[in-house]
Amino acid sequence: MTAPRREMLGYAFVAPTLVFLVAFNVFPLAYNLVLGFTDAELVARGFEWRGTANYGRVFADPEFAQALRRTGLFVASAVAIELVLGFVVALALRARFRGRDVLLTALLVPMMLSPAVIGLFWNLILDGNYGVLNQALGALGLAEPQWTTDSDFKFLSILLIDVWMWTPFMLLISLAALNSIPGTLYEAAEVDRAGRWTVFRRITLPLCAPLLGLAALLRATDALKQFDLVMAVTGPNDERTQTVSTLLYQVLFRDGKLGLGSAYACLALVLVIALATVFTRYLDTLARRST
Amino acid sequence: MAPLQRSLLPLLLASIFAGCSSKAAESDEIRPVTVWWFQWPPAAGLAELAQDFTRETGIAVDVRQIPLDSYQEQVFQEFGGNETKFDIVIGDSQWIGRGATKGLYEELTEWLPSVIALDSIHPRAARYLCEYPEGSGRWYAAPCETDAIGLAYRKDWFEDAAERTAFKKRFGRELAVPATWEEFRDIAQFFQRPAEKRYGCAFPTGRAYDSLTMGFQNLLWAFGGKWHADDSNHVVGHLNTPATAAALEFFAELVRLGPKGAENLGYGEVLEAFQNGSTAMLCNYFAFFPSIQAQYGERVGFAPVPGKDGRRVASLGGQGLSISTRIAPERKELAKKFIAWFLQRPVQERWIEKPAGFTANTAILASPAFRAQTPYNAPFADSIDTMRDFWNVPVFNELLNVTQKHLGKAIDGELSVQDALDQLAAEKERILKEAGLLP
Repeated sequence: MTAPRREMLGYAFVAPTLVFLVAFNVFPLAYNLVLGFTDAELVARGFEWRGTANYGRVFADPEFAQALRRTGLFVASAVAIELVLGFVVALALRARFRGRDVLLTALLVPMMLSPAVIGLFWNLILDGNYGVLNQALGALGLAEPQWTTDSDFKFLSILLIDVWMWTPFMLLISLAALNSIPGTLYEAAEVDRAGRWTVFRRITLPLCAPLLGLAALLRATDALKQFDLVMAVTGPNDERTQTVSTLLYQVLFRDGKLGLGSAYACLALVLVIALATVFTRYLDTLARRST
Repeated sequence: MAPLQRSLLPLLLASIFAGCSSKAAESDEIRPVTVWWFQWPPAAGLAELAQDFTRETGIAVDVRQIPLDSYQEQVFQEFGGNETKFDIVIGDSQWIGRGATKGLYEELTEWLPSVIALDSIHPRAARYLCEYPEGSGRWYAAPCETDAIGLAYRKDWFEDAAERTAFKKRFGRELAVPATWEEFRDIAQFFQRPAEKRYGCAFPTGRAYDSLTMGFQNLLWAFGGKWHADDSNHVVGHLNTPATAAALEFFAELVRLGPKGAENLGYGEVLEAFQNGSTAMLCNYFAFFPSIQAQYGERVGFAPVPGKDGRRVASLGGQGLSISTRIAPERKELAKKFIAWFLQRPVQERWIEKPAGFTANTAILASPAFRAQTPYNAPFADSIDTMRDFWNVPVFNELLNVTQKHLGKAIDGELSVQDALDQLAAEKERILKEAGLLP
């Protein structure tokens, strides 16, 4: 095959993917950028240019600032709790014991379910009046909080559901990281009479760190989009639980403001990219250290 | 050609041909008149009633029931396209401003008087469900299901001799259906016995869409409060007044006389609180009352919402039939044919036999037969004269959103009532100014 022909064939192979990416990623992103400078509405024909007015509105909007803070708090809390819990359970499951595989499979079930379904059935569990949890608390003579309606508990309830759902993901990655550590390192540590804490601090944790960092990055970018659980538990406009995604939903699909919503979306995207960049640089640093 | 390929080729060609011909046959058929409504008993009733239309005219009608939680979003996303899947949308009363000003709803002003005498439509239903701007005489919908918030109470508890004696001893008057909000509060206090899992009252207070606002409005207007000035959209100085503050404080007090979680109950949850036998009184839309009646029979009573100082106002509910502008002219004609049929008095008389098939036809509403038909029809007919609605301007959703948030903060004690109302008034004026509805 001649070189130009080989080149053409190469282009032919990547063309479908390129077309797909341009049509479904690049074009919507570019169109979203354009819409952010207009007064476009979901149901109106055409639009007029508004310059940077939408961005001015977004920066001045306390609701957006609050949704950002709420989302940040959610991401930090959820990822931290899930990471610690997942890693601890993985350490416990590293040892081989009878029924381990069955237990591991059972623990992985929550992350395989749809978030919307999980939100709905946790709604039933947490219902203040007839939910299983409050029935159990009541039977024990304990207080029965209104998990999904009390403004002090709503956010915590969503966090609890997310932790229940995604800790298995951290468990899975943690197990993979633990299993990738060569046994010879532990044998050498044993020869050197290193204590368990030292082994954990000097071998287990540093060698697991890159993979755990990657898991945290994946979970953080996913948690930043938190939508399903909030929609299922409290709806999109509850100030106590409103995340950036549900605020966007409110602005775009309920208020029908495409232009303003696009400006919100662009800023949210910039923040996600910034966060992802920080994470990836951190991972690079870890990788350089380990080599 | 390989034998397998030889045998598959005719099959493939046959299936392509069959596919094309069935597509062609489909396009030749008249598509049913498609009506979108949210999923609830009146929609099922309308689907049943529409079968009579099909029998009479040969035109099929497809009433699609969309889940309530996503109904608004699905409808307006449809309007975002060039052609809607529905010919008729049964839209919430608050949508009419957006439908009219954004060119989504067909204007019916010229056509409607040719099929019905407009004065046969209850003026409140016309004003809030059909016209935009309110009372302008420009029609964008025909009334479908007219609704208002009413009161349901446990008649068996109210008639219990021991309860009546205890109530009289404590309050110095008979235990009777409350005519004022103060009487309502006393009765709710009397039945509020959490240790016995018995509660005073339940209101719509949900934060997800509009429940809290609809629940509060019944007190807002009765206490002399307002959403905005009578003759303009000005809010500051009209909403954040002592009258509105008194209404909100009183409402917060009533919410505390409810079951656990009473500060955040959607319409369905209010119904659940009453139907699980724990709550003495509920305020909710009349459309929910048939299921209460079916469950409790003689043990339940119905009444209009109470009032204050001789003022009684019920939150409006219900929806109108609007024709999409984004359909072909011949489909608009079919839609008009269905609406014209639906509005006829004999059809309306069949409509009221369906669960919560509440009419806006004044003659039927005033008829003794209608009032006697069910225990909740008479209080409904009395409520319709007092009903009022929230904003229905194109930015109703943003106004509703801030209203829900600030009322919620006051109910939850996160803000004082006055601070919540001051902030709400300022937010509403900002939204209205941005929308060009305030100078």
